[in-house]
Amino acid sequence: MHGRTIGEKEDVYALLERIKNDDREAFRELVSLYQKRIFLLAFSFFHNREDAMDIVQETFMRLHQKIHTFREGENFKSWIFRVAKNLCIDHYRKNHSKGKEWGSEQSLEEMNLPCKNGDNSHQALDLKMIFSRCLEKLAERQRMVFVLKHYNQLKYREIAQVLNISPGTVKSLHFKAVQNLRGLVSPYLGRVQ
Amino acid sequence: MKECKKINKDLVAFLYGELPDERQQFISSHLEECSSCQREREKLKEVHERADSLNEDIKAVMASVNWETLPDQITDTVFGKEVQEPKESWVLGISRVLFQPKLRPVYAALLVGVFLGALFTFILFRSPLQRVAREDLISYPPGFIEKVELEMARRETLDYLKKSQYLILDFVQTSAETAPSTWQRDFASQKVKDLLSKKKYINQQLDKFKMAKAKETCNQIEFLIYELVQISDEIPAWRLQEIHDFIEEKQLLLKIKLLEKELKQSEKSEV
Repeated sequence: MHGRTIGEKEDVYALLERIKNDDREAFRELVSLYQKRIFLLAFSFFHNREDAMDIVQETFMRLHQKIHTFREGENFKSWIFRVAKNLCIDHYRKNHSKGKEWGSEQSLEEMNLPCKNGDNSHQALDLKMIFSRCLEKLAERQRMVFVLKHYNQLKYREIAQVLNISPGTVKSLHFKAVQNLRGLVSPYLGRVQ
Repeated sequence: MKECKKINKDLVAFLYGELPDERQQFISSHLEECSSCQREREKLKEVHERADSLNEDIKAVMASVNWETLPDQITDTVFGKEVQEPKESWVLGISRVLFQPKLRPVYAALLVGVFLGALFTFILFRSPLQRVAREDLISYPPGFIEKVELEMARRETLDYLKKSQYLILDFVQTSAETAPSTWQRDFASQKVKDLLSKKKYINQQLDKFKMAKAKETCNQIEFLIYELVQISDEIPAWRLQEIHDFIEEKQLLLKIKLLEKELKQSEKSEV
């Protein structure tokens, strides 16, 4: 979705050098470049606009504070995603872990199930909600890998850098995430056994 | 079957195009022939489609964010507002110095001091003793103070007249028989000095209560006393005669008596 070009990479490193010298305009440009990607990651993780906006703001504030710890030669995209990922997990643990769920308080069982004969908008809406809830039920690392892969379209190699794990582990976590989602969603899908 | 198990483990990565080209090709060929692996792929595709259903929501939410202004908002939050502050006026400068945080304890102490001072003052003036004293002052009938002052002025004047009368009589009776040095001693005494200072006091009282006649007599007495005070051994006989003549001419002794009588009568009539 957001392939990185060599030109962009060079630009980003030039911007980072300027930001280290407290260049306000360079910081603004960097925010313009990465704001959507960070938002996408956070929104896919929380499925909540306000939480996602908080994460975007906090990520760039943290970036400004920690810019001097960014080492030359490091992959900036992975670095900033790692910052955002950590903030997402902290935010989730702080605000959502104590029995809170995204969206309504309605349980999966209380939602309308799709009928085999046809679909309507209400049922489609519920299916989206069901999938959101199923995604939430995944273990933290599986969910993060699935979100980064499916919605942010990062390569396994990049996800590995973000999560500071090996690409093999990423592949394994992705497989488990999809299998678990299949198991969680299947009771609500007519076609899936 | 063993091959299918290995392929199933790679199917998720295959669907997301994460396998090396060779492996991708191999699985693709296998799927064309293996119906079991095809079913597994369909099940996984179902999950993939469900996950894609959230894309609509994501697009809608992303469209609701103002990406043009967000970088400015975040930059302002991180760097602070980049607004040219107007040059600080001298009033602001003084107020900044006066209201600096380190002076807060001083202001707090001052406030406490003012408050305690006001409280003690209030308590002091509200004490029963003070209230009684004030109430007493207030309860005097109107004109009482003036009456008291008039009475005191009258008595002071009477006292002055009486003492002056004795002094003049003394002078008249003894001036022919004794030496001037005797009078000089008498008139230089503390008694005469007191009499002169008393005159200064009763002057104000006589003016205040419009006692013009009494004041005239008192002035003549005062003049006489000043003359007597200056008497010395070398005083010529004609000067002594002049003083005697002055007493007689002004009928001082008679005036004193009349004035005394008048003052006493006015006192009785007022009572």
